[in-house]
Amino acid sequence: MTTTASTRAVVTGRKSSTPLRRPGFQRREQLVSWAFLAPFLIAFALFLAWPIVHGIYLSFTDQSLTGAGGGLVGFANYAEALGDPVMWQSMWNTVWFTLLSTVPLVAIALLMAALVDRGLPGQWLWRLSFFMPYLLASTVISQIWVWIFNPQIGAANNILKALGLEPLAWLQNPDTNMLSIVIATIWWTVGFNFLLYLAAMQNIPSQQYEAASLDGASAWRQFWSITLPQLGPATVLILILQILASLKLFDQAYQMLGGVASDTTRSIVQYIYEAGFVNYRFGYSAAISYVFFALIIIVGVAQALVTRRKKEL
Amino acid sequence: MTPPLDLSRRQFLAAASAAAGAALLAGCAPGSGPGSSAQTLQFWHLLSGGDGVTMSSLLDTVNKAQDAYRIRPTVLAWGTPYYTKLAMAGAGGRAPDVAIMHATRVPGWAPGGLLDNWDLDRLAELGVDESTFPEPIWKKGIVGGLRFSVALDAHPFVLMYNTDICDAAGQLDSDGRLLPASSPEEFLDQLRAVGGASDGHALSYGYLGDGAQMWRLFYGLYAQHGLAIDLPVGGKMGIDKDAAVESLTFMQSLLDGEIAAAQNDYGSAVAEFATGKSGMLMTGVWELRTMQNAGIPFDATMIPTIYGTPAVYADSHSFVLPHQANADERRRELTYQFVADMLKGSFGWAEAGHIPAYLPVTSSPEYADLIPQAHYAEAADHVVYDPEAWFTGSGSNFQGEFGAAVQGVLLSGDDPAAAVDRFERRVNALLAQPNPADPEGTWKP
Repeated sequence: MTTTASTRAVVTGRKSSTPLRRPGFQRREQLVSWAFLAPFLIAFALFLAWPIVHGIYLSFTDQSLTGAGGGLVGFANYAEALGDPVMWQSMWNTVWFTLLSTVPLVAIALLMAALVDRGLPGQWLWRLSFFMPYLLASTVISQIWVWIFNPQIGAANNILKALGLEPLAWLQNPDTNMLSIVIATIWWTVGFNFLLYLAAMQNIPSQQYEAASLDGASAWRQFWSITLPQLGPATVLILILQILASLKLFDQAYQMLGGVASDTTRSIVQYIYEAGFVNYRFGYSAAISYVFFALIIIVGVAQALVTRRKKEL
Repeated sequence: MTPPLDLSRRQFLAAASAAAGAALLAGCAPGSGPGSSAQTLQFWHLLSGGDGVTMSSLLDTVNKAQDAYRIRPTVLAWGTPYYTKLAMAGAGGRAPDVAIMHATRVPGWAPGGLLDNWDLDRLAELGVDESTFPEPIWKKGIVGGLRFSVALDAHPFVLMYNTDICDAAGQLDSDGRLLPASSPEEFLDQLRAVGGASDGHALSYGYLGDGAQMWRLFYGLYAQHGLAIDLPVGGKMGIDKDAAVESLTFMQSLLDGEIAAAQNDYGSAVAEFATGKSGMLMTGVWELRTMQNAGIPFDATMIPTIYGTPAVYADSHSFVLPHQANADERRRELTYQFVADMLKGSFGWAEAGHIPAYLPVTSSPEYADLIPQAHYAEAADHVVYDPEAWFTGSGSNFQGEFGAAVQGVLLSGDDPAAAVDRFERRVNALLAQPNPADPEGTWKP
């Protein structure tokens, strides 16, 4: 991550030490650079900055999607959100999903990358097939897994039956539906983390392994003492990306469950959607999204603190 | 690479972006038909699949029958997304001229000014009035004393049965109709007999992950007790828990793995019956076409009245006037004409399984010959709709909440009473929220 950051600084960091140029030229040059920045700045202001500001305003009103309401209601929406058990349950579901999915998504990716990097023949085939699911749209993977988890004719239950186990209603049973979504999500997105790990592993100089094997280090020892320590930065990057991706849980869960409200899988994003677009309460929906925003800020600050301490060490 | 024209790079880029902008703007402009004197009326609906095919042939018929208007339909995905888009169009005051809504969704919408009301006198001039509708269907379209929806149909939740299997089980009368069952025990006995004659299960009922399916059967059975669920604004849900628990317990007893598969989703249940592997199917009438195409011998009837009062859960596709800020008088008049034409031509809609709401159609001799539709036509007199509140109706959260509370009862034998309590808590939380279309509660018709 540090490499990318510093490269960017070199590319865009224009030094202001150009004393020989005339002031008119400098102004003109500034105008040109603003003109080049304008397309992005306009899009950023219209579609990111303004909605964020407007959303804060909405969260203090009783604005409805139907055009009714719109009067200021103070902190009523926030008070309602903080006292809403469904809001807290959805928040917990999102956090729970993040915990359940992040650990295997990192560990399995590492395992797959290690196998492909060190052992398996036909590397390109493995790389392709591990990464391929990541290229699919969420609608496609939802359809695939709805069929796999079908209680009557699905592959998952056929496997259970072949093993002599009771078939499950994977997606419908509140005890297993979150797990089913986690499994589908791992299959879908693990390829991206795998690719990041693989790239990081291939960046480790092979001389280190040669030197280690001359000293008589076993393959396991080499992995433990050379590979893993050098994957530190990659792991931090993958963790940050993964936690943020998992917190966004919505589309695959919504699609796999057909939009049925399930107390054990409804994520906070889904609840924001339901409040705004099913129950037409924009104001309340905006308030919940800012409660969620607060959670993300907490996660972000925690990550910043942890990574900074690592650097200091 | 050389550009095909002699343009500088800047000229080329400027021209290209101008062209792209023009294309974008053109995409926003309302489509204008080929030059003719006919007014184009915008019509939104949510009917796809077999229903969609039937609807477009009905529209072709009314378009061809006159040259005053042409209907331009826009089909959107069923359920929540449709209602979100229609609400936003109405809120902006630039809605389509006419749209289809489920009758059960209208009470939540009318107070916000999203809909314009129908003028009864103008409808009556076109031959559409109280005398031409079954009473419960006519009444459903009234909110606050005004008429906001005109029903095209009633589409009840019914019982389809395989006549070969039920005949072999000795459950058909001399006319080949299913013997009536008048108590839960009788119905269960009948189902067990049918199960003995069937390769697979006696009954197919898909409910997994489908709150609407669970609600349809449940609320029909509950209403057979002569009861309704009451949802007073700002109050608490009125529900007879004994009747609710009795209905749920009966549903549990159907899903014992013998009578019906304990775990079945909608699609698998339809497939099971359509391939002749089960004797009966509990489903909406909209699956009629599927079964006719499957070529199995079958008939259909109301869900047996096992708790005393005949009651059939249903909803109605209804015509509504989404609010237009500047309604054009001429187009409004043609919209009334269009709705009357559709109602009078709704015999074709019956072929898709729905019961036309317009009585002159269902009382015609042709309809009496339409089998099996005529065999469940009486359901129109016993229809029961969702209890009225801003959050109920087809494609709403209410049925989803019911499913979330009850699925454990059907799937893993959870306690029905606890599920009813849970449902009640969730509904009371929704009742405590203001109608978002009218947050201050100031609407007066």
